[in-house]
Amino acid sequence: MISDLAVPNLFVAQAGQLVLPVVLPLLAAFLMQPLARVSTALARGLGPLVLILCAWITAQLWIQLGDAPFTLAIGGFAPPLGILFYADGIALLFALAVPVFALLFWPGSESGGGAGADSRPGSDQADRDQAARRDALVLLLVAATTGLALSGDLFNLYVFYELAAVASFGLVALSGTGRAQVATFRYLMISAFGSVLALAGIAILYMQTGTLNLGQLAQLAPETLNNPIGSAAFALMLIGFGVKAELFPVNTWVPEVYAGAPARVSALLAGLVSKLAVLVIVRLLVLIFPQPEAAQMLLVLGVLGVLTGEFAAWRAKDFPRMLAFSSIGQLGIVFVAFSIGGEIGLLAGLAVALHHLIVKSALFGLAVRWNGSLEALAGAARTSPLGAALFVLFALSLVGVPPLPGFWAKLTVIVGLAERGTPLDITALMSILLVTAVEASYLFRVAIRLYQDNPDPVARHARRDLGVSALLGAVLVAATLGLRPVADVLGAGAAQLGDRAGYIETVFPSHVAGKD
Amino acid sequence: MRNLASLLFAGGLAFLLLTLLSQLAFGTPPMRVGSEILAVAPGEVGAANLVTAILLGYRGFDTLGELAILFAAATAAGVVLGRRRDDARRDPPGGEVLRTGADLLFPLLVVVGFYVIAHGHLTPGGGFQGGVILAAAFFVALLAQPARHLSHGLILWIEGLAGAAFILIGIWALVASGDFLAPLLGPGRMGELLSAGTLPLLSLAIGLKVGAELAGIMAHIADAEAPDT
Repeated sequence: MISDLAVPNLFVAQAGQLVLPVVLPLLAAFLMQPLARVSTALARGLGPLVLILCAWITAQLWIQLGDAPFTLAIGGFAPPLGILFYADGIALLFALAVPVFALLFWPGSESGGGAGADSRPGSDQADRDQAARRDALVLLLVAATTGLALSGDLFNLYVFYELAAVASFGLVALSGTGRAQVATFRYLMISAFGSVLALAGIAILYMQTGTLNLGQLAQLAPETLNNPIGSAAFALMLIGFGVKAELFPVNTWVPEVYAGAPARVSALLAGLVSKLAVLVIVRLLVLIFPQPEAAQMLLVLGVLGVLTGEFAAWRAKDFPRMLAFSSIGQLGIVFVAFSIGGEIGLLAGLAVALHHLIVKSALFGLAVRWNGSLEALAGAARTSPLGAALFVLFALSLVGVPPLPGFWAKLTVIVGLAERGTPLDITALMSILLVTAVEASYLFRVAIRLYQDNPDPVARHARRDLGVSALLGAVLVAATLGLRPVADVLGAGAAQLGDRAGYIETVFPSHVAGKD
Repeated sequence: MRNLASLLFAGGLAFLLLTLLSQLAFGTPPMRVGSEILAVAPGEVGAANLVTAILLGYRGFDTLGELAILFAAATAAGVVLGRRRDDARRDPPGGEVLRTGADLLFPLLVVVGFYVIAHGHLTPGGGFQGGVILAAAFFVALLAQPARHLSHGLILWIEGLAGAAFILIGIWALVASGDFLAPLLGPGRMGELLSAGTLPLLSLAIGLKVGAELAGIMAHIADAEAPDT
C-alpha cells in the first residue's frame, strides 16, 4: 500500500494528499466569515487562492500517480472498515474540473448585475457578511462535488451529495428576490424528497450486503443484489441522485431555479454539479447494478427527459429558461448513452456529458447579461459581436453540426444505440434525431434574433463573463482540431470507468474482502 | 395535468415500496463490516462508546461532511435572514418568572452540554448532542429576552475556529502518519476520561461548532423582524 511508505512531508505527492482538494475548501469556508470581519481583501482573495491550490494538488497527483487507478483509505482504516477514496482517470478529471470551473464562474463582484443584484438596501457590514457567506457556500459546493468525484463509499457519497444540495439552496437564494426564494423552496422540497429515497435505497443495500464500500458491494452484488430488491434499491437511488442530475421526473425544479439564481451559480449547477451526480449514478450502474433492468430504467427516463426537455425549451420565452430546459434534454441524452453500457456507451456518455459541461457553462456565462426574455435579445450582436459569435458556435455544437465535438458526441450515442438495436434503443435513437431538429429550430431562432436590426439592443457583456465564455469556446475549437487525441483519452477513461473487476482489484489488491 | 402526474408518481412509488416490503427478509441483516469493527475497534481506537469510535474514527470523514452540511444550512439561513431594518419591532420580553428561570437554567445547561461533549467517547452522547445542549442554553436566554443581543462576531469566530480545529487535527494526522484523520496519541486505557487519542478533541471541536452554529441560527431568527400586528 502507498500509505506504508508515506514520508511525513506535504510537498511530495502521495495518495494521502488526495483528501486535500476536499478538505481545504471546507477549511476556507469555515474561516471565511470571521476573516471577512477582520479583512475584506483577505476574505475576498482566500477563495480563488484555495481553488488554485486544489487544482494544483490534483494535477500534481494525477501526473505523478495517475497512470493506474489508486485508492486512499482515509484515517488509515483499511477497506471495507473505513472510508475510501478511489481515483481513476475520470475521477481525477472531474476532481480537476471542479476547482477550475468554480474559479471561472467565481461569483466575485456581481458586475453582471441583473438577477444577481440584491434589491434591498443594507449597510456595508451586511453586504460584506453576505459576500462572505456566498464565498463560503461556493467553497462548500466545491468540496462536496470534489468528494462526489473521488469517494468510493456509498454513504460518504450520500453525505457529499447532501452537502452539495444544501450549499446550492443557499446559493440559489442569494439573489434575494421573491422569485428566487420560491424557486429555492421548491428545489428544497424536491431535493429532500430525493434524499429520503436515496437514503432508503442505501439502507436496503446495507441491509442486504452489510457493507457500504463500493468495491465490496461490487463483489457481493451478483449474488445478493441481482434480484427485484436490488432493482428496487437502484430505482430509489436513481430517483434520489437523479434530482441533481436533472433526471425525469424529478427535474421540475430546474427551470425556475436556473432562471432565478445568479447566472454564474446556474452555470455551476447546470454544468458541474449535474455531471457529478451523473457520475455517481454511472458508478452505481457499472459496479453494483449490471442487470439489464437497471439500464432499461435509465434508458426510459432518459428518453422522457430528452423529449420533455427539448420541447419545453422550444416553447421557452426567456434565455435562462431555454438553457435550463435544453440542459434537461442534454442530460437525457447522457442517460440514454450511459444506459447502452459497455465501452462505447460509457465513451458516448462521457463525451456528451463533458461537451455539455463546457457548452452549457459557457452559455450560462453569456446569460449573466442576457438574462431576460428572448425578445429583448434582438440586435444584441451589434453591442456584443463576440458574444453573439460564441453563441452561434455553442449552438452549432449543441445541435451537433460537424466537425464540432458535439457532432461526434451525438454520433457516438447513435452508433451505440444502433449497434444494440432493441426496439427501445431504436425509439431512443429516433427521439434523439427528432430533438436534434427541435434544438436546431429554437437555437437558430435565437441566433437569427441576435443578428436582427434593433435600434435599442441590450447592453454589452462584462469583460470577465465574455472572457470565460471565449476561453471555453477556445477549448471547444481546440477539441475539434484535436478530436482524435481527445477521443483516445476519453476512450481510455471509459475503459477504466467500466472496469468492474479492475475496481475490485484496486480496492482489495489481494482479493480477500471481509472475513467470509 | 400536474395533479394527475403527481398522483401517478405517488402511486408508482407506493407500489415500489410495497413490493419492497413484501420481499425483504426481516431481522437477519448480514453483519459484514459491523462485526469486524466490533472486533478491532477497542484495540485500534480505544473508545468505550463504540458509536463514537465509528463516528469519529472509522467514519470520521463522514462526520466532517455532516458538520459541513450543518454549516451550509446555517450559512444559507444567514443568507435568507441576514438583513434587518434598524427601526424594526422586536418581540416583547417574557415575564419576571421566565427571565429568572432562564438565568438559572443557563449555567446548568452549559455544564451539562460540556459534560456530554467531554464524555462522548465513554458514554452515549458526544459533540453533536452536547453542542445542541449548549445552543439550548442560549435559546432559553434569547426566548426569555428577545431584545438581548448575541454577538454575531463572537459566534462566527467560535464556529470558524472550532471547524478549523477539526480539520487541522486531521491535517496534523496527515503530516504525522500520512493519513488524514488517522487516530493519534494512542488509544490509552479504555474508559478513562483521557483516552481514545484525538477523539475527545474532535468531540470538543464538533460540540463548539454545532453549539455556535445553532445559537447563530437562533440569533438570526430572533433578529428577524417581528410581524407588525
